Amino acid sequence: MDPPIVNESSFSAANPSSYSLAEIWPFNGEPGNGGLGLRMGNLSGFLDGQMNRDGSAEVSTVTEQSGGGGIGRKRKDVSSEDESSKMVSTSSADDLNMSNGKRIKSLVSRHDNGGSRAEGESSSAAGDKQAGQIAKPSEPPKKDYIHVRARRGQATDSHSLAERARREKISERMKFLQDLVPGCNKVIGKALILDEIINYIQSLQNQVEFLSMKLEAVNSRMNIDPTIDGFPAKDLGGQPFDATGVMHASQAARQYSQGSQSEWLHMQLGGGFERPM
Amino acid sequence: MKNPQRSPTNPGSLRSRFTQVFLQSLLRIRKHNPTSSSSSSHGEFLKRCRRVKVAAYVSMARAVGTRRAWSRATLWRARNGERQRNLLYGRCSKSNSRERSLGKRKRKKKKKKKRDNEEHSFGHAKKLQKLVPGGEAMDFCCLLDETAHYIKCLITQVKVMRSIADFYSL
Repeated sequence: MDPPIVNESSFSAANPSSYSLAEIWPFNGEPGNGGLGLRMGNLSGFLDGQMNRDGSAEVSTVTEQSGGGGIGRKRKDVSSEDESSKMVSTSSADDLNMSNGKRIKSLVSRHDNGGSRAEGESSSAAGDKQAGQIAKPSEPPKKDYIHVRARRGQATDSHSLAERARREKISERMKFLQDLVPGCNKVIGKALILDEIINYIQSLQNQVEFLSMKLEAVNSRMNIDPTIDGFPAKDLGGQPFDATGVMHASQAARQYSQGSQSEWLHMQLGGGFERPM
Repeated sequence: MKNPQRSPTNPGSLRSRFTQVFLQSLLRIRKHNPTSSSSSSHGEFLKRCRRVKVAAYVSMARAVGTRRAWSRATLWRARNGERQRNLLYGRCSKSNSRERSLGKRKRKKKKKKKRDNEEHSFGHAKKLQKLVPGGEAMDFCCLLDETAHYIKCLITQVKVMRSIADFYSL
């Protein structure tokens, strides 16, 4: 950052007020003090220039913060950084800064266009710090359910973050399953927990098999009975009645009133008998 | 009446839906083969048991609906099985040959799935994938999710079936 360049820029384009002041002074001032007025104008211009230089210096420090060592500003949005970079590129006429701003902008746009590709570039290009810092803060809004808490020594690239999130999800579900399966809370270790779960499912499926045998026996026994076969009056009524009994507790309040329920039952019974014929 | 006391108070719950569907399918099964029970050989009995079991699983899947992967897989499998059986009904007259060909088909399918599984899964997860219907196509995370729901539904299923069996054996 060269001071003469900044001065020139402030005089020429950035600060027209100093010019106007210098022009206004001789008109307003006494004719005798024209030189002084001019000098004053020069002085004011110089002061303005100095101030402007201070301002530009501040801006440059801002750019250094945002560009060079912005670890603390990781969580800031991309937009704010983008704005700051734009401001820098417009306010200061420094060529280096301009090019920096352009580079930032181009990187941002590239990142916006192809998300994961820009991340890959950032991880691959270790020398380019700015790209990495811009790529990182944009990650949390993309998958906001992932709490990125990379502790010291943990990897921070996208693959390992995703892997960590997946592992957390798996362990959460394992915990849920552990609560579901009885006697699984005491078991330690993923493999043993899975073993327990598998055994439990198998036992449940065996129970279903056994109960289906039992039900089949009951079903066929009721089938043999000629009175039931011929007349669906009493015992067969038990089955749909059973169903409606369950439904009565659950659905009666919503759909069927007490009177219409029996009607519906008869209808269903009739349908059930007409179908196989 | 045991069921009204036991059944949950929340309307349209999974349990009541399953009970309704399952009892209807039991009724249908009973109507379908009223005479077969008189000539009860062991094979016939096993076949009918299998039918009841399939009915139980299918009615559970129907009660759950299609929002779960395992219920979708169960329904799909049941439908395809029915279709195959219907096709075979038309072709073969003897029941034995039908059973054999069905068995062969099932075995072939299983072998194929095994080969696929061995490539991308490990030990216990593979076992779990075989147990949970439709688990072959899931990754581990989804598999655990589906397993949890499947276990819940199986528990409900067993409870309801037991209560029905108790009710009729009285």
